Amino acid sequence: MGILSVVIFSPLIAAIALLFLPKEKTSWIRGVGVAGTAVSCIASVFAFLAFDPGTTQMTSLSIQLTEKLVWIPTFNIHYYLGVDGLSLPLVILTTFLCLLAAIYSCGIELRVKEFFFWYLILEVGMVGVFCALDLFLFYMFWEITLVPMYFLIGVWGGPKKEYAAIKFFLFTLFGSVFMLLGILAVYFASEPNSFDMIELMRYSGTWSREFQIIVFLGFYLGFAIKVPAFPFHTWLPLAHVEAPTPVSVILAAVLLKMGTYGLLRVSYGILPLGFEWFLPAFVLIAFINIVYGALCAMAQTDMKKMVAYSSINHMGYCMLGIAAVSATGFNGAMLQMINHGIITGALFMFVGVIYDRAHTRDIGAFGGLGAKLPVYAALMSLACFASLGLPGLSGFVSEFLCFLGAFKAWKLYTILSVSGLLVTAAFFLRMLQKVFLGPFNEKWAGLRDMNARELISVVPLCVLMVLFGVWPSFLIDIMNPTMTVFAGMFPGLFQGLR
Amino acid sequence: MQNLLTLAPEMGLTVLAFLVLMADVVMKGRSGRTLIYLAIVAAGLGLGLLALAYNDPAHYQGVGTLWAVDPLSLFFKVLTLGATLIVLVLTLEYRPPEEHAHPGSYAALLLFAAVGMMLLVSATDLLLIFLALELVSLSSFILVGFERGNKKSTEGAIKYYLIGAFSSAILVYGISLFYGAAGTTRLVDLPQMLGGGAQPMFVLACLLITVGFGFKISMVPFHLWVPDAYEGAPAPITAFLSVAPKIAGLAVMLRVFTFLVPHASLDLTALFSVLAILTMTVGNLTAIFQNDVKRLLAYSSIAQAGYLLIGFVTGDTLGREGLLLYSLAYLFMNIGAFAVVIVVGNEEGYSLEAYDGLGRRNFGLALVMFLFLLSLAGIPPMAGFIGKFYLFAAAIKGKFYWLAVFGVLNSVVSVYYYMRIAYHMFFREPRTLEPAPVGPALFSTLALTTIAVLLIGLYPEPFLGAVALSAQFLPLPPLP
Repeated sequence: MGILSVVIFSPLIAAIALLFLPKEKTSWIRGVGVAGTAVSCIASVFAFLAFDPGTTQMTSLSIQLTEKLVWIPTFNIHYYLGVDGLSLPLVILTTFLCLLAAIYSCGIELRVKEFFFWYLILEVGMVGVFCALDLFLFYMFWEITLVPMYFLIGVWGGPKKEYAAIKFFLFTLFGSVFMLLGILAVYFASEPNSFDMIELMRYSGTWSREFQIIVFLGFYLGFAIKVPAFPFHTWLPLAHVEAPTPVSVILAAVLLKMGTYGLLRVSYGILPLGFEWFLPAFVLIAFINIVYGALCAMAQTDMKKMVAYSSINHMGYCMLGIAAVSATGFNGAMLQMINHGIITGALFMFVGVIYDRAHTRDIGAFGGLGAKLPVYAALMSLACFASLGLPGLSGFVSEFLCFLGAFKAWKLYTILSVSGLLVTAAFFLRMLQKVFLGPFNEKWAGLRDMNARELISVVPLCVLMVLFGVWPSFLIDIMNPTMTVFAGMFPGLFQGLR
Repeated sequence: MQNLLTLAPEMGLTVLAFLVLMADVVMKGRSGRTLIYLAIVAAGLGLGLLALAYNDPAHYQGVGTLWAVDPLSLFFKVLTLGATLIVLVLTLEYRPPEEHAHPGSYAALLLFAAVGMMLLVSATDLLLIFLALELVSLSSFILVGFERGNKKSTEGAIKYYLIGAFSSAILVYGISLFYGAAGTTRLVDLPQMLGGGAQPMFVLACLLITVGFGFKISMVPFHLWVPDAYEGAPAPITAFLSVAPKIAGLAVMLRVFTFLVPHASLDLTALFSVLAILTMTVGNLTAIFQNDVKRLLAYSSIAQAGYLLIGFVTGDTLGREGLLLYSLAYLFMNIGAFAVVIVVGNEEGYSLEAYDGLGRRNFGLALVMFLFLLSLAGIPPMAGFIGKFYLFAAAIKGKFYWLAVFGVLNSVVSVYYYMRIAYHMFFREPRTLEPAPVGPALFSTLALTTIAVLLIGLYPEPFLGAVALSAQFLPLPPLP
């Protein structure tokens, strides 16, 4: 059994162990839950140490730490895991945020056992999606994330939780079943029939343009709903707002990345002709995501809703980077995925912290909290500045790279999209001003600053925001070789962009 | 005479069923459980004989002019008899509103229905098909109306009977036209008789026969009897009806329309794909509005028949294998779901509200119900997903893209109403914290079905192998 299997299945083992614990022993249950995510996180660090990023001179993707077992020979299906510079950073992001959010989850009091059970199953699915290199296995893991999320939103969520849960379930399932049809189509179009993603990348040259376009649309529906790309974004604000804090963190930080990861790995890697055909629309959608998401965020009075809409905006930058189809753009998109995970994860936790104390998230209800809660104010301002792209913090680097890559290929859209930055800055600053500055609202005299549990789960993220802001090459070095190979994989295509 | 031996399981089962029936007369309705145990033993013996036939093909398989015992029919015989066996076990712990008057007749009728289905999946002559179908139908009519004090049971039985009789008449009319066109009711002779293209009378005959079959497998638009019959029938009988006759009906359609009547002489593929789409869509869209669990599962079973029809439409090896695998998965997941319905129904009745907070009362029970529902909806890693995967793969491979698209869209719709049950089980507050009692018979059924659903979902390879071996017809004998 390889290290990736350990990363994927240690949460599952913890989940099964949970079933045997009596539900009154909440501290034990929390311990097992956090331990399961911690083992997974440590294992992923070992995977990182064993990983060799390679060089930009590589001729093909270097898939490492592979595990391949025959699973269903009738359909040529394998249990095939492996990582490269595209997936490894996302695996580590997932395990790390799952650990931090699990620590944060220790504040949950309602039906603790069930919560951690579903939470751990969710992690299995998410890590699995990033590690799987067999499309069938990929789809299995993809779908496994749905059910836990349905429960996590539906049981522990806010006032409209049931509606949010079923809407999330149906929306994502709607997309993913078309993905299933796409998977079947590429399976039967390959000879010998195969679900192997790496193998399938080599077939793309033999498939006709029409075929690739139709199959691309099937996959795109699955991925776009997850990202979420306009106009499939309507589930996101609802699900993010209704979900309990740790689940919002996971939703924003990891689940959305499954969509962009799929766009890169499958839509671009396996169906380049379809991707090329769709690019003009794709870049338009990226632009809409950026501007529309930012404007919607601006209109919110609920902090959590504002952060949720800012996610749509940030994923727009990521899509813009992908649309560049160059090493710079891909690096930017990847970096943006990681940074968005860290920053927005932290922001949701901050919103949760204030909501737990004040039981409101209305921006207008606060005022002058900066002096009352100095630690909270400082850390949250840091996260907001990182999110709006202040130079020196991590958000700036990735957004800059996305714009840099995209400018070469899509000048007009890039210039227009920069306006999104302005709006983002505006709504974050306005929120900081209303919540932390101004006259102190005496109603909140009893508020206490952050406790140890909250600090443990949030401070690592804040450290990373600064670290990746001043030293982004730490991350870029891991993914750049893969991204360079990836961007140059189809020399005959995407001519108009180069 | 040699050929007669291939029907040994059916004959043995018939004799035992008569024994049970006579024992019921002698005992005058007393010690009903003993008789049900006897019927369980009889079904078990039948299954044993079928296993022998699987092991020793040379001895037990063969094709005659009236029936064919080949791997395909054996597979469906095992499935239908297995379903009957499980339903008999479920009956042990089913608590009807009033005690059944003749448990022996009940058990015997189930066995007769099983014999009918076993004959049906083997039959290669339209007359035998008709007789077998009538045996199944007449037994089912009585079983649906078995709770005489229950008005809904009687209503369901009457509706089922009237529509069933009507459909039988159409079927017989179709068979008579068929005889007129082809000069025979023996389907094995057909390729020689037809010669060139199909005459209008032959096409009409086939359409009428399709209508007759359509009633049995609850194909839209011939499904209107289903909800009332399912709601009124005793819960184990609903489980039985939703699985066994449906699978048997599909098996006989498969044999008749993809093998005996070759596509070259009559191609109904377009018609059947439209009917498949209609069946799934109508079943699913109507299920959304149901508040009675039996009715909800009734409409869900209509939709499930639609998915099964995909395998029938594509008609190639992959589609046939998909149909077999999905039938296997469907047997376990649907009967498993009904086992939970019986547990809850014994205590609280059959409305959706009866499931409120089941997750708090019996977490294990609610969890397995949830697994069955996920499986029915086709979410991985459950058996239903592998089955649907197979069927959709067949549709894509056979270039029936619209069929595949409607299939997956329907899966999404179905999640909505399956999750309504999950919503009641996990999100609602329970009215009582008293766990619903699960006796040994129900527990073993639930254990078996849960293990099967998970095993087929996670490690399908052995099942795929078995299905691939079973999805074959024996070649027809050369005509003298």
